[in-house]
Amino acid sequence: MPVTAISTPGPFRVLVVEDDERSGRMLAGLLRRDGFTVDVCLGGLAGLQHLAEGPAPDVLVTDLRMPQIDGITVARLARTHCPTLPIVIVTAYPDLANRLDGAEPMPQLFIKPLDYSALVGALRDLERSA
Amino acid sequence: MATAVPDTETRFAELKRYVEFSAEDAALLAGFRTTAEPHFERIAQEFYDQIRLHEEAHAVFTGEAQIARLQRSLVRWLERVFGGTYNEAYFAETTAIGRVHVKVGLPQRYMFTAMALIRLSLMEIAEASGPHGTRVSRAICRIIDLELATMLESYRDDSISRIQHVERLEKEALGRDLAKTQHRYVNAVELARVLIVGLDDTGVIRLFNREAERVTGHGRDEVLGLELLTALGIDPDGDGAGVDALLRSFRSPAPDGAASDGSPLETTIRTRAGHPRVIRWHFTHAPADGDDVSVFALGLDSTDERATADRVKQQERLAAIGTLAAGLAHEIRNPLNGAQLHVTYLDMALRDIDASADLLDTVHVVRDEIRRLGGLVSEFLDFARPRPLQIKPVVIQEVLARTVQMVTSQAQTREVTLTLDAPPADIELQADRAKLEQVFLNLAQNAVDALASGGRVVLRARRQPRTVTVEVEDDGPGIPSGTPIFDAFFSTKSHGTGLGLSITHRIVTDHGGSIDVETAPGRTLFRVVLPVAGPQTQSQPIPGVNDDD
Repeated sequence: MPVTAISTPGPFRVLVVEDDERSGRMLAGLLRRDGFTVDVCLGGLAGLQHLAEGPAPDVLVTDLRMPQIDGITVARLARTHCPTLPIVIVTAYPDLANRLDGAEPMPQLFIKPLDYSALVGALRDLERSA
Repeated sequence: MATAVPDTETRFAELKRYVEFSAEDAALLAGFRTTAEPHFERIAQEFYDQIRLHEEAHAVFTGEAQIARLQRSLVRWLERVFGGTYNEAYFAETTAIGRVHVKVGLPQRYMFTAMALIRLSLMEIAEASGPHGTRVSRAICRIIDLELATMLESYRDDSISRIQHVERLEKEALGRDLAKTQHRYVNAVELARVLIVGLDDTGVIRLFNREAERVTGHGRDEVLGLELLTALGIDPDGDGAGVDALLRSFRSPAPDGAASDGSPLETTIRTRAGHPRVIRWHFTHAPADGDDVSVFALGLDSTDERATADRVKQQERLAAIGTLAAGLAHEIRNPLNGAQLHVTYLDMALRDIDASADLLDTVHVVRDEIRRLGGLVSEFLDFARPRPLQIKPVVIQEVLARTVQMVTSQAQTREVTLTLDAPPADIELQADRAKLEQVFLNLAQNAVDALASGGRVVLRARRQPRTVTVEVEDDGPGIPSGTPIFDAFFSTKSHGTGLGLSITHRIVTDHGGSIDVETAPGRTLFRVVLPVAGPQTQSQPIPGVNDDD
């Protein structure tokens, strides 16, 4: 397999961007229990700041509809930093994701309420192929 | 009648009186004959010689043979003039000669000059004949005037008959014009796709055109002579009141001229078969002398129009509700998500402490219910905010093969046999593939769900010239009659949302197709018919509904 992204040594790092505080923290907690390294940003603006200043994620898990800065903007900025960054969208408004049509690799889409085990399965697949 | 006794004087007698031709004149002429007769040939000869000199007059004759013949006639005429007997028979002969002149088209002016020439010649002879010459000359003048007058009568009779002929022709032409005009108006009235009803002063129908017959189902023989409201079954206390008031205002217009015929009146009529139809009428008051029709009612059948308007209104109402509900449905997903994540945590934590199965089951019920609510939201959104169809060529066998594949495990669990019956040649149609998959998956799943173990489900596809028919048949218990299976939120399943068949129905109709069901205990068959060419007019997305945000 051709190595395009520089694989980060150490644990698989997940960036969760979710404006609902309780849901964001709970998702981060569950993922940590399952062994992932998780950074959680409450809202799009925090997500942008993290992408600019924080440690680079191996995957972005983001909500779409958020006040001020939406998930589409976050996803686009993430891709400017790392064009091959895997993106997972968790949203109540799946139709909004068509604004990312044509993005490669294609973001994976999960509709709320989230099927947590399906998300973990997808992240494990990404971790394996990273 | 006692007053005016008709004058019995003949035309000839009247002419004789007018030129003062007397019995003495007659005797003088008779006496002069022997003197004059030797000159007749010469007079005739000179007369026609004179004519030959006149180009235009000469042109009247066809040739020398004719002139010779006419010369002989002139001699005979001169002999007559001096015959001495001037009775009705004589008059008849002169009239006949006059008619010949008319017939050959001899201009009257030539007759005058001719007579003048002959008169001069004869007078010369008379003057030279002796003492009675002057008297004879006068007699000659009178007889020649008499001849002229008689012949002119022929011209007059001719022109009268010609005028009468022209009048007759004009009358006939006028009649033809009238018939043509009438024909045009009859056609215009009869062929118009507008109800045209003519009413007399009392509101009774006097004219009922073909469209009126077609729309109402009444023949004109059934309604002519009846009052409009009675004939068309218009409620006199409802719609009819307005019509009545208007007709009354036509009969006795208000002093301020308020007898308006401007705005249309809508009435519900009853057809001959008893069906209601909505007609929009325009009443026009157009009284005319000699016509019993004084009011014209022009009507348009607006039944369908109104139904369409009602449907559009209903659609708009549903769209507004749909937009509201869809917004709500989306937002429900967020709290559901929070709940689900927390329940997931609870589930894990309980496992970590080896909680009892009861506790775990309880948590799982909550988890499953949240999942179900999530599914309901998704289906509802699919129903309330359908996406526009993505029309592409689709091979129906491929769609059905995928359907079978997706239902197979479910069928195996329930020990149901699933069969695909489709012709080997590809059946291609213009459709939205994903939507069609949804349709047949839904129908196939319903069929499998309806069966006890050992049941059979057949998916069948057939091609017609312009359509594709897909049937989903099962040998289950059937659907009780009158079940509103296509209505939203109707479900007989404990876990159904009641939206599956509503969505199916909508997808099929959006494709310009139809879906129906035949059901009886032991056999239920859903039949979907889709046009090969795809939807003819892309169903317009309802504004504000299809667009997310």
